[in-house]
Amino acid sequence: MGGKKKNKVIPAPPLPPEVDDDEVLVSDEDVDFVEENRDHIHLITGIDKNSLNEVVNKLAAAREEDKLERLYEERERKRKAAEALKPRNDDDLEVDRVDALPVKTLQGELVYKTAKRVRSEDKDNGVESKSEDNGADPKQRFQKERKGRSNKKEDGKMQHVQPPVKVAKEKLHTVVLEEVKEELSAEELFEKKKAKLAEIGMAMLEDPESNIRSLNDLLIMCNDADQKVVKLGLMSLLAVFRDIIPSYRIRQLTEKELAVEVSKEVKKTRYYEYTLIRSYKAYLQKLISLEKQPYFYHVAVRCMCSLLDAAPHFNFRESLLASVIKNLSSSNNVARKLCCEAIRSLFRTEGKHRGEATIEAVRLIAAHVKLNDCQLHPDSIEVCLSLKFDEDLGKDESKQERVKPKKNKRYQNRDVTKPSDKKKIRKELLSKAREEVHADLRAVSFTLDPKERKMIQRETLSALFETYFRILKHSLSTSNSRYKATSVSPGGSHPLLAPCLEGLGKFSHLIDLDFMSELITCLKKLSGYTDQQDEISQDNGLSVSERLQCCIVAFKVWRSNLEALNVDLQDFFVQLYNLILEYRPDRDNGEVLADALKTLLWEGKQQDMLRAAAFIKRLATFALSFGSAEAIAALITLKHLLQKNSKCRNMLENDAGGGSLSSLVAKYEPEAKDPYLSGALASVLWELSLLQKHHDKTVSAMASNILSMANLHATQNPVQLSSANPLEAYNELSVLQELSKPANKVSSLKCRRKRRAKEFVALSPDVLEKADCSLSDGELKEKLRSHFAVLRGISKNERLRIDLNHTLSSINLYKEYKRLKKQSKKIEDW
Amino acid sequence: MRPLDEKETTQVFEKLFKFTGPNLKHLLERPSVEGPDPEPGRYCLRLHKNRVYYASESLVRRATAVSRTRLAGVGTPIGKFTHGGAFHLTVHALDLLAAHARRRVWLKPDTERSFLFGNSVPKSALARITENTKSGDGVVVMSMADVPLGFGVAARGAQDCRKADTNAVVVLHQSDAGEYLRKEEELM
Repeated sequence: MGGKKKNKVIPAPPLPPEVDDDEVLVSDEDVDFVEENRDHIHLITGIDKNSLNEVVNKLAAAREEDKLERLYEERERKRKAAEALKPRNDDDLEVDRVDALPVKTLQGELVYKTAKRVRSEDKDNGVESKSEDNGADPKQRFQKERKGRSNKKEDGKMQHVQPPVKVAKEKLHTVVLEEVKEELSAEELFEKKKAKLAEIGMAMLEDPESNIRSLNDLLIMCNDADQKVVKLGLMSLLAVFRDIIPSYRIRQLTEKELAVEVSKEVKKTRYYEYTLIRSYKAYLQKLISLEKQPYFYHVAVRCMCSLLDAAPHFNFRESLLASVIKNLSSSNNVARKLCCEAIRSLFRTEGKHRGEATIEAVRLIAAHVKLNDCQLHPDSIEVCLSLKFDEDLGKDESKQERVKPKKNKRYQNRDVTKPSDKKKIRKELLSKAREEVHADLRAVSFTLDPKERKMIQRETLSALFETYFRILKHSLSTSNSRYKATSVSPGGSHPLLAPCLEGLGKFSHLIDLDFMSELITCLKKLSGYTDQQDEISQDNGLSVSERLQCCIVAFKVWRSNLEALNVDLQDFFVQLYNLILEYRPDRDNGEVLADALKTLLWEGKQQDMLRAAAFIKRLATFALSFGSAEAIAALITLKHLLQKNSKCRNMLENDAGGGSLSSLVAKYEPEAKDPYLSGALASVLWELSLLQKHHDKTVSAMASNILSMANLHATQNPVQLSSANPLEAYNELSVLQELSKPANKVSSLKCRRKRRAKEFVALSPDVLEKADCSLSDGELKEKLRSHFAVLRGISKNERLRIDLNHTLSSINLYKEYKRLKKQSKKIEDW
Repeated sequence: MRPLDEKETTQVFEKLFKFTGPNLKHLLERPSVEGPDPEPGRYCLRLHKNRVYYASESLVRRATAVSRTRLAGVGTPIGKFTHGGAFHLTVHALDLLAAHARRRVWLKPDTERSFLFGNSVPKSALARITENTKSGDGVVVMSMADVPLGFGVAARGAQDCRKADTNAVVVLHQSDAGEYLRKEEELM
């Protein structure tokens, strides 16, 4: 008889059918054994079936860990209470007679050893180790037996002899083993559990169908008290699930199917699927409950993300998605990045789940945004940028449908005029047959019907735009309310605005034209455009960069859709005109400004002359005020505008007043809010002459180039210096500036002085750092000192020499003078 | 010459408001550049023989010295009152309007002539239109070289233009620069 013991109490298997005593097959061996151990037979005979049934049922019912624990505690209490009544030593551990072998004293008595309960001291190591071994061995034996048993799970005969003994042993074992466990050192326990996890895992992977029940084991391990073990258990379950989850969705078996008799194979598969689903569900519930605890947060999130990644088509996807999306805006960086990655890969690999997961995810994100009133981390919306839509989604399907009824009408008319029944019937039959074939094909095929796909994409798109518009409206309303508030509003309360605008720019070509006008008005309001021109501009809640981005997005939207309509977005130009004034390099993002210049002024059609002149003048002033990066961006735009509007070249002349072109405004108003009223045509671009002397060579070259335009004919264009757009030019110069600031403080001066020529090798800052580390500080100082001393000496030398020459020449002159005077005197004397 | 009374002022401002919108304040409050004074003061409107003139205060001060019968005009005439008491803007106001108007319409080069002869602007002649034009707005018509040609009232908004027929009228003609030739006698 092999002792089939379990170290943990799992729900007991259903009892085998009751067998009459008569029919029990008792072998000879059994009889002998019983004869030998008559003394111990009381163990078996003394079993109280009823109480056992109670226990079994209780255990079967108590599947949740809480109940199990409570059960244990109860039992412990009862046992302790019973023990307290008995007159016994407190230090004694009750060891079952089966566990501890008896010792025969010299008197012939059998003494059953009692183990000392040693908590903190290592008194009775011998006994302890013995009980340890007893505890360990059964556990290990369990494993092998369990596996063997599960392999033969369909062999019913083996079971019916075992259960009563097993259950009894189980009860006593578990009680004993609990206490034993407490005394095992934590590390050893941990190692053992790890080993067990590995074993189960490997078994699962080898033969998932037969070992499906070990999933339960793993689940139980996750209920362990040791947190590390729980973590490991979760991770191993994750690995197992990733491998065994099938590529189809398991659905509930209908009653009809359950009623039908099926073959063993099918039964096996059904059982397998059933267990899989059950354990998967339990696992997910565990993950979701553990996610709330801060210690397990990382692990839970990681498991959920990779599950979503691996099996987006499987059941319970909604709950997974819900919790992953909830974590999209968590403050924990790592968790958030994991979730973002998972959702992004979900969006990209549409083949696995046919787009259904995409639309669910987008809907959940929309609901989430709504719930949190747009106060989420920007990453949550940024994931939507990886969505992909079919290019022809925007095309009107309704057009096709509109055409169809016309055709049908024609056909109907024709049918009325041509009453040939035979043909009609044949046509109908044919079309019916075709439809049926189509329906069958659709039902069988796994790939998406293009119509379905379009529908799904359309719904995703509408959910996405709902989110975007909600964010826009929210930003609008908060910025409006801040009009009235007198307190200074804290920045950054529109975290979602930036990715929202980006997304709008990206998907702008899919927006319906009817919404376009609303969108543009909304963007206009956001960018701070007010109707009243000479009101003191109230503080919009948005920063300058955000407002610029609104303008940029409006233009992108416009360009992809409305350009054919010849509509001219004047108000955004006015806004840009004012925003250029408000720019500050340390506070605002220069790149955004360069991008705005590029989108609004550099690309696109010809500008209105007055407006262009106003921008030219303002850009020239702007170029003077800031660093070389902004200057070059402004100058490139300026040159472009001048090239396109040849009439504005009058500004390059030295002749103020503008002549007849200035229309009413005869004097330049630098503070004007409206570009049309600034009278820029009446001004002169004197800033360019100053810019010619700029320290940066690119800027000065560009300025001279622009000035040369004055001499050219109206249709001629100056030499093309660079064909970069303002954004690229800005980036070039700003990057170079960063590189010119090396890491080493000592060599800063040296680098600047050495950098005379513009031959720049594109080094990254770390290479620079490494290059400088070859010399020590002291040596470097010495070298520099000597070098500069020499330089200074040389220059001093030169200066002195010049002085010397000067004095020498003056001395010579004086001598000459004297000599001449003498001569003249001599001549006079004569 | 007298300043306008309330009713007349409202009428004039209403007509101007259609073109300039909120810029109307700027029209009257900008520091003027006319007149020989070092501080010419602001602009104002004066009524003389049923015509409304837009002039700077310094000019007006000097014009009071000229007798009523001999005064031909002061500053820029912008419109006149008809017998029935309605106010119409004339072509002389073109410069003023072109500087301050908010909505502009650009015409294609070949169709300028049609507008200058006094016809309304069909959609086919339209090269560009300011974005937020609404129906009934005052609109200044410019050529592609940004030369103001005249002004009118928008018959359709910018969005409706898109759906309209090619021959549908977009801008109703009110006044154009060709009137200097066609209606020479009437203007003065």
